[in-house]
Amino acid sequence: MKARSIVWRPLAVAALLSLAVAGCGEVKDSGGGGGGGAEKQSGPLRLAVVPKAVGFDFWNQVKTGAECAASKQKDVEVRWDGVTAETDVTGQVNLLQNFITQGVDGLVYAATDAKVLSDVSKQALQQDIPVVNIDSGTDPQPKEIPVFATDNVASAEKVAGLLSDKLGKAGGDIAFIPFQRGTTTNEQRAEGFKRGLKEHPELKLVAEQASQSDYDKALQVTEDILTANPNLKGIFAANEPGVLGAAEAVRQAKKSGKITIVGWDASPDEVKGVRDGVIDALIVQNPFRMGFDGVNAITKQLREGTKPASGDTGVTIVTKSNLDDPEVKAVLKPSCDDPPS
Amino acid sequence: MTTRPAALSRENLSDAISQLAAGGALIVVFIYLSLASDRFLTGDNLFNVGQQTAVTAIIAIGMTLVIITAGIDLSVGAVAALSGVVGVKLMIELGLPPNLAIVVGVLAGALAGLVNGLLVTLAGLAPFIATLGMMSVARGLTLIVTGAAAVFGAPADFRLLGQGEIGPVPIPVIALVVVAIVGHLVLTRTRLGRYSYAIGSNPEAARLSGIPVKRYLTAVYVIAGALAGFGGMMAASRVNSGQPNFGIGLELDVIAAAVIGGASLFGGRGTVVGTLIGGFLIALIRNGSVLLNVNTFYQSVIIGVIIWLAVIFDQYRRRRLGGAGE
Repeated sequence: MKARSIVWRPLAVAALLSLAVAGCGEVKDSGGGGGGGAEKQSGPLRLAVVPKAVGFDFWNQVKTGAECAASKQKDVEVRWDGVTAETDVTGQVNLLQNFITQGVDGLVYAATDAKVLSDVSKQALQQDIPVVNIDSGTDPQPKEIPVFATDNVASAEKVAGLLSDKLGKAGGDIAFIPFQRGTTTNEQRAEGFKRGLKEHPELKLVAEQASQSDYDKALQVTEDILTANPNLKGIFAANEPGVLGAAEAVRQAKKSGKITIVGWDASPDEVKGVRDGVIDALIVQNPFRMGFDGVNAITKQLREGTKPASGDTGVTIVTKSNLDDPEVKAVLKPSCDDPPS
Repeated sequence: MTTRPAALSRENLSDAISQLAAGGALIVVFIYLSLASDRFLTGDNLFNVGQQTAVTAIIAIGMTLVIITAGIDLSVGAVAALSGVVGVKLMIELGLPPNLAIVVGVLAGALAGLVNGLLVTLAGLAPFIATLGMMSVARGLTLIVTGAAAVFGAPADFRLLGQGEIGPVPIPVIALVVVAIVGHLVLTRTRLGRYSYAIGSNPEAARLSGIPVKRYLTAVYVIAGALAGFGGMMAASRVNSGQPNFGIGLELDVIAAAVIGGASLFGGRGTVVGTLIGGFLIALIRNGSVLLNVNTFYQSVIIGVIIWLAVIFDQYRRRRLGGAGE
């Protein structure tokens, strides 16, 4: 029995593979090139999941979500890899091209640059490798590729309101710490924030300096912004390293509590900042959901041939008062046993 | 031997001119910022600038030594990150006291420097290649050690190195002054310094005159690595955490500081004072840009242009002064 199954299993796999290859050939011959999904795959799936960069809590939660989704499916393997800086666009292009060359079954990734990466998406589709974008899509976004992401513009629009609630009618000088000029996510948050500011003329934007997604850099620019604007009342920092740097600068300048900080994302130190009262509010995305939904969608597409639709993964506004609510906790510390909705 | 004092004084003159130019630029930027922003010329801001320059400048002093030997160390940013996360992790996981962790961080950097040095001297790799490899190895190790996630939870007294003050003066500034004085003395008063210039000017002549080139060259890379490790610990202390992505591109700022200060990539030339001037010039431009709310992109352009001007000036000066005598 045993001996036979050892012989037969590879043969069966080989037979399946040749069928699959033949299937691909047929699709191409008929001039479809529909970007995968046409043929169903029942065998094991190797999915590449690529964040914008490794090294941040946010992306580790994406990873947890992706691996959780994979563990709940049969024979789905997640291969997690990423560049070390979100600014390394060419590095990400090369990485994705390597995955395409290797012939992974599907590609789930967050685009470091909307325009540049759209070509890579097209390339994958031409090779019949389906693609799902998480967090950040491409421009143009091929209609075959769904995006599971936060509605950045709408969420950032709320920030001005949060600052205004805290600062009251008097308002005052505020600063904006974007992270990487020219990236889609950054521009969307900037657009939303500035749209929100128009409704609150009492808030005066006096400084805008990018953190380059670097904690140390964020600390330095915030120190300098505090120096230049002694009357600063509020700061909006648009991602994790920026928030941490801004909070650290405010803390070191001994202005904790005197300056309202609204941040984005929820790494443990950011949450601690909220608890300590240095940070007033955090716009918290659902990175776990991005990884989870992304992997589920592409698996469903590969297995059942369905066309997945894009989804908004939502935000939660976390403040000191709701920090310990169960729904908030599920978002802050997502676990595979109790995935956040 | 009789010609040597003359040659030395000509070189000293040449170094002085180079520093004068960079120093002049520094003064111009300083005066401009004092006039353009009423917040610039305050004690707090100047100490901030000092604090922000310290990490780059300390590492740049090690880089100056390497550049004087006609070498380069591209790994300093990655080594600084590695030292930072290793030191912070040891404090959290083994409960190492901060002072000891800082020492371990410095030793980790020195070890990376030793590997660089041996690759250059024993394996005969070009410094560019040896340290390019180390840049990749150290960054990779940093990611492995941390699982690519920032390391938080360092003890509060670790903040002292990067955030503490003695009187009104930030500790990073004091550390920079100490490293600069020692570095200056090493370069001007010790065998290591003299040999470094000799090796950089003409390695073959240095070897023939009996200088143990390999040993001193290795020592130079060890020092550069140790200073990168120290800078990495200081940066980690500034943010009280180990950041695996720290220092990406830092090597370029560090090399720029040395080159603006008159160090020649052809070797044999460079001073600690010059490098400090270069480091502060870069930091002032960054600081000023934020104070005046100038778009960050212009900072890069300005710094790039200054590097060009510094090197063009350096070459022009070398042709005039160098060509006359020999």
